[in-house]
This record gives sequence, C-alpha cells and structure tokens, in this order.
Amino acid sequence: MKNGHFLTLGIETSCDETAASVVADGRFVMSNVISSQIDIHTAYGGVVPEIASRKHLERVNDVIGKALDDAGVSAKDIDLIGVTYGPGLVGALLIGVAAAKAMAYACDIPLVGVNHMHGHIAANYLEHHELEPPFMALIVSGGHTEIVNVPEYNKCEKLGGTRDDAAGEAFDKVARVIGLGYPGGPKIDRAAKEGDKDSIAFKRVYLEHGSLDFSFSGLKTQALNYLNQQRQAGREINVNDVAASFQEAVVEVIADKAVMAAEKYGQKRIVMAGGVASNSRLRALMEEKAGAKGIDVLKPSPVLCTDNGAMIASAAYYAFRAGEKPDLELDAIPGLEF
Amino acid sequence: MKILAIETTGKYGSASVIDETGRVFSADSREEMNHLKGMITLIDEAIRSAGITKDELTHVAASVGPGSFTGIRIGVTTARVMAQMLGIPCIGVSTLKAMAEGILDEAISKDALYVVPVINARRHQTYAAVYEAEFTSDHEKQSAVNIMEEKQYMIEDLLEELRTKLAETDGAKAFFTGDGIDAYGDIIRSAMPEGSYLFADEEIRYQHSEPVARVALRMAEGGKTLGYDELMPEYMRLAEAEQRLKAGTLSDRIKRASV
Repeated sequence: MKNGHFLTLGIETSCDETAASVVADGRFVMSNVISSQIDIHTAYGGVVPEIASRKHLERVNDVIGKALDDAGVSAKDIDLIGVTYGPGLVGALLIGVAAAKAMAYACDIPLVGVNHMHGHIAANYLEHHELEPPFMALIVSGGHTEIVNVPEYNKCEKLGGTRDDAAGEAFDKVARVIGLGYPGGPKIDRAAKEGDKDSIAFKRVYLEHGSLDFSFSGLKTQALNYLNQQRQAGREINVNDVAASFQEAVVEVIADKAVMAAEKYGQKRIVMAGGVASNSRLRALMEEKAGAKGIDVLKPSPVLCTDNGAMIASAAYYAFRAGEKPDLELDAIPGLEF
Repeated sequence: MKILAIETTGKYGSASVIDETGRVFSADSREEMNHLKGMITLIDEAIRSAGITKDELTHVAASVGPGSFTGIRIGVTTARVMAQMLGIPCIGVSTLKAMAEGILDEAISKDALYVVPVINARRHQTYAAVYEAEFTSDHEKQSAVNIMEEKQYMIEDLLEELRTKLAETDGAKAFFTGDGIDAYGDIIRSAMPEGSYLFADEEIRYQHSEPVARVALRMAEGGKTLGYDELMPEYMRLAEAEQRLKAGTLSDRIKRASV
C-alpha cells in the first residue's frame, strides 16, 4: 500500500521479453519495464528457448528492481505479486515463477499465478479505465489467434481458435521467405503500407459456415507456391505487394469472424489483445467492420499489446479480488488453456 | 553466520541451513524434478528446523551446476532473488565439488584415494571431475581437493585418464558417485580394473544441499561471496543453437524449428 493504493507487481517471462511492472488498484501503470531479447534471437531467425531462459535468469533481478524504482516504491509497499505461469516456453516461464516465489517468500507478499492470455485481455483495463466485462475479446499473437467471450474478470469462454498456425506465426514464416526477416509481424505491417493489397488474389479461409475457427496454413502454402512460381518464371517479386496481399487475406478473415462472434453473442464491444493486435491494418479493418454494425472496438496502445508485466499485474489484481488463493507451490504450465 | 544452501541440479531437490559452528538443518524431497513447485516449501522447512527466521539469514548459497539446466536455473534464480530481497550476499558452489564433499567420509572409510562425481549429460557425455581428500593442519577436518578438472568428458575419456592416475599409486581406488553411475555403470565396470573402484550407494549418490552448505560455509569464511547479480549458473555447455551459430552450421531447418 502506498498513499491508499493497492500495489501489484506483475512479472512476465513467458517468451522473449523479461518484464515487470507496478500497477496501482489494478488499473494505473506506475512503471512498466520490458527487457526485450529480440536483438539476440534475430541472429537465429527466431526465439531459441534455451537462450531465452538463460537471458531471463540474467535479467530478471534488475527488471524487477527497476520496476520498483521507476514506480518510486520498495518491495515492502507491494501488496500482491502476479506472475505468468502459462502458456509459454517452459524454460522461460520457470524463471519468472521462481523469481516471483522467492520474492513473495522473502518479503511475505501473497502470490497468484496468471494465465498469460488473461493478461493480454487485462491490458485493456490499463488503457480503458471504465472498461468492465462482459465483452468479446480477440487475441492475436505469435502463438494465438482466438475469439473469446469474457463474461466477467478472468473468465474466458473460448469460441474459436486456429486449427493450425497462429496469425503471427504465418506472418513470421512468410516474412522470412520474402526476405523481410524476424520478427515478421511488424515488418510485414510496414512493407504492406507501400504495397497494393489487391495485387495478388490470396484466398480467404472461412472454414464451415458459422465457424469461429481459423486456418492459416493453406494460405501460407499458397503464398510460398506463388513465390516459387514467380521465381521459376523469372518474374521479379514485389515484396510490398506480397506483404500487403497476404496481410489482407489474414486480417480480413480475423476481423469478419470477430464481428460475427460479437453479433452472435450480443456483445457491443470487441476488445483486441496480443502482439498482432498492434497490426495497423487489422486495427483499421476492425474499426471499419465493427463500426458498420454499431460495435465498439477497444485496443491497448502498442506497448501494452506486446508481452509486459503491467497486464499480468492487472489480471492478478482481479483474480486476487475474486478470491484466488495465494500459492507458493505454483508450477509453470507451458500448455495452460484459457 | 546463517547460510541457506539450495540444491536443485539433480533429480531430487533439497535445502539446508548451516550456522557458524557447522551445524546443518536440512529438508529434502524424494519427488523427482519437483524443484519449481517444491523449493520454497523445502527452504521454509530448513529455516524453521534451524530455529531461525528468514530475516536472520546472512548468505544464500546455490549449487550452480553443472547438472540439469532447468534445475540449475530454478536454484540460481531462487537464490538470486532471495538475496536481492533480503539484502544479503550469495555464494556459488560447484555442484561437482559439493558431490565430492558429500561422500568424502564414506570414501575415506572405504580406503578410496580418489572421489569421482559423474553427472550424466547423455550420449556418452558426462560432467565430471576427480578429487582427493586433503586433511587440514589440525588433521580433523578434511576437504575435497580437485585433481582432475571439472569439465565435460566423454565417459570413455574420463575413465582412461582415471586409469592412468590410478596406475601411479599401487592399490589406489576410485569412489564414483552421481547419476553417471546409473547411466554408465556397465561402461565403468568393463573399463576399470577389478577392485580399483567403488560405487556410492543410492542413498548418498545424488546431489544434496548439506555438502553445498558445508562448502558454502568455508567459502563464506574465506570471503568468497558474490552480489546477487554476480551469482551465475555453471552450465558447462553452450546452448545447442549457440554452438551451431559459432560453427556456422545453423541450418534453416533448425531456425524454423526454433521459432
């Protein structure tokens, strides 16, 4: 407690960002420290789990220390610690969990485990202070493409998800093949702005009528085949056009299905979350398609879309308030479901 | 002095508290690879059985490896953050050295000259070393002195070097310990001359925090302490992707698989 505010420290190490943050009353970000490893993993063309774990270990103390310093508080002011315990890379998750438990024990602070995906949704509580459930959530990231109904805090009903590649994964693969490199999402977004989205007719995969699931592997194959054909025919490939057309085929289906889900469940708001939620074309298309049906679209600023500790702190705050029991025997669960 | 020692590099986790007189209070688990889940409970039990509170701790020591990468990371991270939050220094103890210390009395009582901790690193690889008991000037306490470097050995190479050493002293015996016995027992039996070696019993074969605490106490007395951010794992091996990157053999297939 400081000045009458309940302070939560959130710790996040599920993939390649070591992050910690102090959040007041579950809503107000006092500090948000994110130490990214992207520069290290770029040399390998993607996240190397063993290296990610090693780097988390080296950085987690200072990231936690800086989160406290930046917020102008000390460990004894912290009322609650929240930590991501899944889903994610097991070796990466366990650094955050071990650190959180050691701190909780050493400083007598209650600890709750947070589902990383609940955290992504909670990022919106930090941005939109009036937002409360119920709402529809669209989570799009390197590992996830999911439509989730959120009836109350930290309650998630998954309505649809990808049957093969996540959207971010498809972006990464195509980005690599057209020479844009890693991380694919932001690079495709940038290249697409210079390209013509209607130049190549990539298919839109909607699956069975009414389905809220996704499939991107066929689209990815189509893109790879297109590139091969162009190369074999000796035709020059316009990287920007490929990026724009491919991106459009991905985000159009996502936006359509998110709007369909909100209509079906009578939700007047769609909340966007996850790294790919910062894709500028997806954001624009969501506004357009949802707006046409009178549905509001809420999204966190890009810094809260990437993995961060603040969203974990917010989700932890609401879990604790709902009566979740502190747990010093918390384990990491890499395949944790919603 | 009240030192907390953590051991998580093998399949069983344990925690001990040692005081300046050398009294040790331990808590250990027989559940395999339960380190992340069980470590705080073990630490709390060890501290309680020592009759102190965590705020009375003066140092946090960890067995830093070699061993299971995952296990090493859990122990080292726990030690680093506890030390940071309690505002006390860390001590980094070599896992192999602590294993040697742990069976030293047993080895001496069995007349073995050398103690050989061997950790299974798969595919005929080991993390190993050879130690010899050395008595201090008062001839009461003995400690393990390293005579063959702590590093990665192919089991066959380790045994060959060891045979050469044993041949220098008539009737000398080597006392093996660690899960390397479980993995390479048959190879050791067929490579070593009859009567030249002994295996530690299963009850004392695996890593434990008690000898970690004993080594840590001597290091603390000698001023060999570290800031929490200086306590680092001793993996003894680069990550596979790093090896490939250095060797220039990082293939596209590996890159894809690692995404």
